[in-house]
Amino acid sequence: MDSLMEIEKNDDLAFYGQVNASISHELKNILAVISETSGLMNDLMELSAGGKKIAPEKIMSCGHDIVEEIQRGFGTINQMNRFSHSMDQTISRVDLIQLIELMTGLAKFLSFACRLRLGKPPENCSTIRTCPFRLQNLIYRTLVYAFKSTGPDGEVHITIHRETNDSVCIAFSGIGLDSDEPFPEESTKKIAASIGAEVRMTGSNRTIEILVPELVEP
Amino acid sequence: MKILLVDDEQKFAMMLAKRLALRNIDVDYVYTGEEALQKAQNNRYDVALLDVKMPGIGGIELKGKLKETHPDIKIVFLTGHGSKKDFEAGISEGAEYLSKPLQIEELLELLQRLKP
Repeated sequence: MDSLMEIEKNDDLAFYGQVNASISHELKNILAVISETSGLMNDLMELSAGGKKIAPEKIMSCGHDIVEEIQRGFGTINQMNRFSHSMDQTISRVDLIQLIELMTGLAKFLSFACRLRLGKPPENCSTIRTCPFRLQNLIYRTLVYAFKSTGPDGEVHITIHRETNDSVCIAFSGIGLDSDEPFPEESTKKIAASIGAEVRMTGSNRTIEILVPELVEP
Repeated sequence: MKILLVDDEQKFAMMLAKRLALRNIDVDYVYTGEEALQKAQNNRYDVALLDVKMPGIGGIELKGKLKETHPDIKIVFLTGHGSKKDFEAGISEGAEYLSKPLQIEELLELLQRLKP
């Protein structure tokens, strides 16, 4: 029973499952659009075959919409692939902007997501050596909290700056006041500690900061 | 029969509405729960097709609000998850449940069954 309890408490697995569930939901939505659009195309062609005059543009428009959705699907699968490969190496040098863009892209699949704006980072803190999977988990948890607190009409601004010579700060500002949940809670603090990071909230301007050390030794 | 379709996946809502309209079904479609409540103020609907997960007012909350002003309205939840949990949520809420992607024939049969 102990080993089963360990699985249940495994934050990494829970995070992986949560993200994959939201990706599968997004893919189902894409397939639903393709299904209805191709269904409409078929309806129109059947009507046309039955002698009703159908403007060719209507059918072409369906084809265009299907191609767009397929591209959206490729984009989603590409994100899924990048996320899955983030577990390949426990510690590696990662491009912070790419990592944040991936997590914001995945978090946007959540139905309660708000708008996100990512600021351009200074040259001296664009990459970092860390555990990409755990850092992704921290960013995702922060985004989920930010969405719940801010609401779908709000906007959260994400910036990166060098905090000290050996640490970088990822800041999420513009967080709303809608959520009563505490943040960071114990499990988030634990994940942060495992990569030498710290998650803190500054009360006055509702900003969450993730301080990430530049180097994590294996 | 008049239908209100609510889904934040805009193209899905638009395409499904067009397909229903081709079958002579009177359907209004909107993308948010808030828009749905506005529509419902000035229209009488027999059936509401509601996406479960939407920003703002979600499908289950929307069902409660619609029932306040339209006690006889029939509710069909549409969801991309299709899990047992969703299904049970739909049933326990006294509503029908369809999983996306939809089969149009299945939807038409259900609408026929719900016809007042």
